[in-house]
Amino acid sequence: MIDGKRWERLHKRVWDLLPWYVNGTLADGERRTVELHLAECLRCREEIATCQRLGETLQQTREIAPMVHPARLARLMERIEAEERDSRRGWRDALLAPGRGLASLARSTPPLARGALVVQLLLLVAVTGLFVRSPRQPAAPAPAPEYQTLSESAPAPAAVARLRLVFAERTTEQEVRDLLLGIRGQIVSGPSALGVYTVEVPAGPDPLEKVLAHLRAQPRVSLAEPAVGQL
Amino acid sequence: MTETETSLLHRIAAKDRKAFEALYHRYDRRLFAFILKLTRRADLVEEILNDVLLAIWKGAGGYDARSRPSTWIFGIAYHKALKAVARREPEPSGEPEAEPVDRDEPESLLARRELATVLGRALRTLSHEQRAVVEMTYYYGLSYQEIAEVMGCPVNTVKTRMFHARRRLREILPTMGISGSAGQEST
Repeated sequence: MIDGKRWERLHKRVWDLLPWYVNGTLADGERRTVELHLAECLRCREEIATCQRLGETLQQTREIAPMVHPARLARLMERIEAEERDSRRGWRDALLAPGRGLASLARSTPPLARGALVVQLLLLVAVTGLFVRSPRQPAAPAPAPEYQTLSESAPAPAAVARLRLVFAERTTEQEVRDLLLGIRGQIVSGPSALGVYTVEVPAGPDPLEKVLAHLRAQPRVSLAEPAVGQL
Repeated sequence: MTETETSLLHRIAAKDRKAFEALYHRYDRRLFAFILKLTRRADLVEEILNDVLLAIWKGAGGYDARSRPSTWIFGIAYHKALKAVARREPEPSGEPEAEPVDRDEPESLLARRELATVLGRALRTLSHEQRAVVEMTYYYGLSYQEIAEVMGCPVNTVKTRMFHARRRLREILPTMGISGSAGQEST
């Protein structure tokens, strides 16, 4: 038998490991240590039961994770594209807007490197001059962007689908927001006198039925139907 | 599976959009749930999720395969979420709203909803770090070593956070029948 102090140290070590014994991720050696200790420690056996109940409860109260909606990925790809274009344009602007870009570049560059930069820039301007006939007007408005950023007011997406939704009584605003977040939906009208909301979701490769099935599975949704015509 | 995810990350590092889309489809829901559980802020989830995915797109070249791809990805999500929450503190005021009760609901659903409310309230009393350890252990089934990697901290810190979280939950949860005994730990 081990003495009291060593036993307490072992008990503390095992006690700390119990959550990971319960979730089955302990290495073999540690698992064996825990099991040997469990055989002779009532407190740890009781704690195992508590850890298990906590784990089971957390699993049972699984929150709704929204379905993957194609619009979310499309928006993200737009943002990536916009950022990449912005960063490319940032360089171009720094080179083409001498007053602003170069001054700030010069301020943040050590003197020696500044000299080298000036030489390179003169060369660049000379080479560019061979190709560019009409000089660019720095004050000219930027050309219409070929992409759309998230901050711009979005024009109506090419394809949207409209749904009619009725929420269960006493559904909180937060729950409505979470549900809409999950389907990337926007309320376009409602509630009507009957409590019907018209909600617009971006149409994508995901069939509308899938969105509807997801909604119908939510306890807070009493009705989810495709909208035909206007309310 | 792990190999495929590693190779996806390598392809993403080479700016392969198809690979990014494939990874997105594997992780989108998991990350959404993870961030929501960690922050308990539905209003911030989407923004944080986008930041995480963007960071993966930009930083996949930095993945060195020392940890599992999922550990690396959840690590990014963990840090982005904590940063976003810190920027936006305080959380919307105190006690979460009591769940409205619909008398027509089946009893099991009702009980589950009540349990979720009490547990949610109990989890809110933990620090973000403690909550993250609890969720990653019980909900995502990560080992304490993996959690340490995700959080970027020593394994003993993970154990200490769990120790305090368990103690706190034990004070709050006995009424739920989750904490069965007085459960005295040695300190």
